[in-house]
Amino acid sequence: MLPADFALLGFARRDWGDGDFAALAKKAAKEHARTQWNDDVWRRLNENLQFVPGSFDDDEAFDTLAETLNNLRNTHGIKGNAAFYLSIPPAMFPVVLKQMDRTGMASNARSGGWRRVVVEKPFGHDLKSARELNELVDSVFTANDVFRIDHYLGKETVQNLMALRFANQLFEPLWNSHFVDSVQITMAEDVGIGGRAAFYDATGAARDVLQNHLLQLLALTAMEEPVEFAAEEIRTEKIKVLRAVSLPSDLDACAVRGQYDQGWLAGERAKAYRDEDGISPDSKTETYAAVRLGVETRRWAGVPFYMRTGKRLPRRVTEIGVLFKRAPHLPFSRTDTQELGHNQLVIRVQPDEGVTLKFGSKVPGSSMEVRDVAMDFLYGEAFTESSPEAYERLILDVLIGDATLFPRNDEVEASWKVIDPLEEFWAGKAPYLYRAGEWGPKEADEMLARDGREWRRP
Amino acid sequence: MTTLWDTTGTAVVKALAAERRTGGAVTSGNALTLVVVVDERDVHEAEEAATLAASKHPMRMLMVIRRHIDAPVPRLDAEVLMGGRLGPGEAVVMRMHGRLALHAESVTLPLLAPDAPVVAWWHGAPPDRISYDPLGVFANRRITDVSRADDRVAALRQRAVDFAPGDTDLAWTRITGWRAALASAFDGWHEGAASAVVDGDDADPSAQLLAGWLSSRFGFYIPVNKTGGAPIDQVRITLADGAVISANEDYGRLILHREGQQDSVAPFPERSLGELLAEELRRLDADRVFAEALGAVSGLTGLNDRPGQRVHIWKDPALADSSPAAS
Repeated sequence: MLPADFALLGFARRDWGDGDFAALAKKAAKEHARTQWNDDVWRRLNENLQFVPGSFDDDEAFDTLAETLNNLRNTHGIKGNAAFYLSIPPAMFPVVLKQMDRTGMASNARSGGWRRVVVEKPFGHDLKSARELNELVDSVFTANDVFRIDHYLGKETVQNLMALRFANQLFEPLWNSHFVDSVQITMAEDVGIGGRAAFYDATGAARDVLQNHLLQLLALTAMEEPVEFAAEEIRTEKIKVLRAVSLPSDLDACAVRGQYDQGWLAGERAKAYRDEDGISPDSKTETYAAVRLGVETRRWAGVPFYMRTGKRLPRRVTEIGVLFKRAPHLPFSRTDTQELGHNQLVIRVQPDEGVTLKFGSKVPGSSMEVRDVAMDFLYGEAFTESSPEAYERLILDVLIGDATLFPRNDEVEASWKVIDPLEEFWAGKAPYLYRAGEWGPKEADEMLARDGREWRRP
Repeated sequence: MTTLWDTTGTAVVKALAAERRTGGAVTSGNALTLVVVVDERDVHEAEEAATLAASKHPMRMLMVIRRHIDAPVPRLDAEVLMGGRLGPGEAVVMRMHGRLALHAESVTLPLLAPDAPVVAWWHGAPPDRISYDPLGVFANRRITDVSRADDRVAALRQRAVDFAPGDTDLAWTRITGWRAALASAFDGWHEGAASAVVDGDDADPSAQLLAGWLSSRFGFYIPVNKTGGAPIDQVRITLADGAVISANEDYGRLILHREGQQDSVAPFPERSLGELLAEELRRLDADRVFAEALGAVSGLTGLNDRPGQRVHIWKDPALADSSPAAS
């Protein structure tokens, strides 16, 4: 899918030549390529790999980078077009962006093509820092050339949510508070924090996942139909929802954070969060967050959106569960329908990408007994074409300038407006402990039990 | 089929997903997850029973075999099957060694079919308290078999003490035929019962439960009269007007005798463990009638009003054995 004129230029504080960078790229490509390894394809790609070593505060190194980029224009025929992927610690942003500004690398006018930048989460750590970051990035690049990457939005199932809602007649009439009882959005990971101790301990689950992935999923679930399937139109609808998100007034009862304690997960011992390397033994950072949100619109008023995310949960799974109201009247006896739950539409974002529809059905036999059954759509079964990896899709979108799947700066800011009061409420409080390998602290179960509901087991 | 030696729960989850992908759409529906807790020496019998049950209920079967809890190094061996030896559905047989055996739920939790009810079945003697076994705590329905306990009378009583709605016992399932026959004997009769007796083995939990069931229905105490023959020889019910209804088993037939009527004879074959299990899996809600019968046997009341959810109680067998206070 890449254009013929293409070059990949690396920049890092490493004592590397082009060859070292190419070797790293080859190893990664070999391990993770979706398609069969083809040496010819690699050889062509390999000719276009270059590397510039240097640290972020080294003016000379950035001058070399700018020069190398200019040379590529002639040698590889790329007409001054370049996208920068900044995979750097948040604290380094001002330094690096100033360097790019100084050397004119970021300027569309000076390069005579387009200059785009990809920024990874976290987009700041609260509203204030996000605004500062947005202003900084938007001042160096132009606002339209900034791509905030949220790899969840690149997933096939997430994009399918829009197809499901807006290409079908079946679901949209039910997609409102008249028929929907509640929505549950879960993103669970079985892994711990890995090597990200310093970053994670300063961030926590709410900032790391809730602020971006989960709120984006909520926005796509709850938004109105866009006027057309185009970047600006979709972002406009998403921002409307994000601005309408409300926190309950009683946060004590509707926001739970937890931290994993030692336990057993998938047959292996797992350390407590506080015993992880690089984590202080009295850390109050949360590794689990569950919260009840509302969406204050005509469509959604009164429907709770339960969001949860956590590490060291039993399995890695992301899903959106739309739970419908019970039938207003059941003409059966109570015992006949005891095993009947809510009708549910579940969008499995990962793994087993697909959609499940759950409804009641009569159990075969002489008595009238109704039990839940499921209708399943599995991507792997309905389509033999394999889906592109999320990053693959998103980076291609950057190169062709399609911003549909990238949150705009005001979306980021609206999301922080939801998270900031939560963080403020939690500040200084110790999170509840849950054993590694469990579905979060029992307080999160109690939170739903108080509303007469329970979490789905994904 | 995939066999994994010295593996991790994550690898088992992956293997199951891979088998599902290659297995195709046939296997996508799971009405329930059945967790089978079984001893190594009984694996064959339990597999046979669970396979029969799996042919009647589309399920994901997770068989947990705990071995050598005192082994120094925890280890997991697993076998993932799809539409093979263990029925048409999905099955994972897991052998857990060492301390892992005490944390079996850490392996089974990620393997539960999403949002489907979980049924735990202890093939051997039931745990003293179900809360001691985390596999039971996560289950919506729990099936025990007190007839496999050393002291069956004590075990049945303990089931009542420990009861929570959602529990049932195969000793109860074994008398379904008796209950159906006796209930049908009352069809069209309007007289109430004045007295009744169950003849059989008074140490047999099924006989006890049958007497308990009749007690809870009639509202007066009904004993098991020891006759020394089969577990249940005969049930005699005397009605208020003096008429007698009796039922007795006779070489694979159930003979129902009512005064003034011809005897009715129905085939009454002994049912296999698998058939009993399949019957239990038909209802996934709490069995209120069983709770009433069990209450009548044990003299405990309010069994149906107990909370259905248990909380895991940590009990380490290694510590329990070494400390004299544990007795």
